Amino acid sequence: MRRAFPLLLALSLALALAFLALPLLAIFLRVSPAELVAQLGDERAREALLVSLKTSLVAHSLILAVGTPAAYLLATRGFRGRGLVVTLLELPLVLPPAVAGLGLLAAFGRSGLLGEELSALGLEIPFTQIAVVLAICFVASPFYIRAGIAAFESIDPALPAAARTLGAAPARVFARVSLPLALGGLGAGSTLAFARGLGEFGATIMFAGSLPGRTQTAPLAIYDVLDEDLEVALALGALLVVVSIAILVGAKLLTSWARSPSPSITLSAPSGSR
Amino acid sequence: MKHVIAALAAALLLAGCGGSGEDDDDLVVFAASSLSDVAPAIDPGATVVLGGSNDLAAQIRDGADAGVFLSASERPVEELREAGLIAESTPFASNRLVIVVPAGNPSGTTTLADLNRAGMKLVLGANGVPAGDYAREALAAAGLKEALAQVVSFEDDVRGVLGKVALGEADAGIVYATDARAAGGDVRSFPLSERYQPDIRYYAALVEPPSDAAREYIGALLGRTGAEALRDAGFLPPPS
Repeated sequence: MRRAFPLLLALSLALALAFLALPLLAIFLRVSPAELVAQLGDERAREALLVSLKTSLVAHSLILAVGTPAAYLLATRGFRGRGLVVTLLELPLVLPPAVAGLGLLAAFGRSGLLGEELSALGLEIPFTQIAVVLAICFVASPFYIRAGIAAFESIDPALPAAARTLGAAPARVFARVSLPLALGGLGAGSTLAFARGLGEFGATIMFAGSLPGRTQTAPLAIYDVLDEDLEVALALGALLVVVSIAILVGAKLLTSWARSPSPSITLSAPSGSR
Repeated sequence: MKHVIAALAAALLLAGCGGSGEDDDDLVVFAASSLSDVAPAIDPGATVVLGGSNDLAAQIRDGADAGVFLSASERPVEELREAGLIAESTPFASNRLVIVVPAGNPSGTTTLADLNRAGMKLVLGANGVPAGDYAREALAAAGLKEALAQVVSFEDDVRGVLGKVALGEADAGIVYATDARAAGGDVRSFPLSERYQPDIRYYAALVEPPSDAAREYIGALLGRTGAEALRDAGFLPPPS
């Protein structure tokens, strides 16, 4: 009995590890590295990677630009309905992506809620790269905002307070004190949001469709070529696994950096408000 | 290693299929998505999985446990036969292509030639999806290959094409007459001229190893039950 429990724990871990690592390992067992590189030269693969990279970068810039101040506000101000606002912002985290796609169509589609207004501006969003960017923003930004709120909340309130008493304006306190202190947490949230956006599938295929070279991202291309050319699909899949590993390691490094008190940052805060 | 993967996959499949409790014969039928109204009517006890014929064939190739494969064209069946996965197959129905437009027809499309107008948002099935391949065949026959430049999305099955049009997001798509009929009032449809209609053949295939339930299913599909269900949905008899 005494030995049974540790054994159970070890078995559970072994089972979880085997189950979660096996499919990833299997991808690499089916394509050799040389083949992988060769298949990535395939035009469909290259086009899809370019579309993914471009839309992800644009979406991510938007997420950082809007999400950072929004998270700062939610972390530093208490107001009525704050809980509701946070819950609404987090909803896409748990929403099925197909529902996200449907919602985006219902809001921004040609016959959607804002369809007429957008058409009047000469904008038809579905089937364009804008649609891909919006789909990514919709599903990925909650990851960043959530991490951002936590990062700003974890700052010792004495530091921004000290900056204020020394006469720094709120914008300056944000830029020179809070932002540098929250950078580790923000970076970790940012990488996770980027990863989620890169893997986006359901909302994209509904809202943006799938056109090689325009709206077909890497995950959509995997699905599209699967029945014709398994090798290309596997190569794209393997590449996404490698990118995901890099992102996860990056996020972990940033998180541990954020947790360890860094004297250089605490020192830079007062110097910044001088 | 291979055995471990196969055993795991089999365990997952069993767990996935055993849940409903309603399946009286455990028969799994993989059917082209245009057959959504027909395939379940042949045997209400069978589990019907719908999708693009090419995607379904890829799943069967990867070991999916289908007893019957109903394909919208011959190619996916032939590919599986070459891989030794099909025992026998037979054509059982035909279909017509139509142009579908949203109910309001904002682009005023009525003919194949209209699809080639600049600014047209055309949706077709992807490469390998039978409805898409038939549509490309028809466009080529009409000398309108350049209309492919107006395509804004290649969908993974024919119902995806229909959905984008029914939602009013695309101006037009090319689907089967039976799909347009199933969509009802959300779309309007215009049949392609007889000259450009491709030779559309649906194939019923018995997947290896053949089971009695699968044989019975195909028997019913080729018999009166099938004839009625196919006629009700608007399918035509196979060209002889």
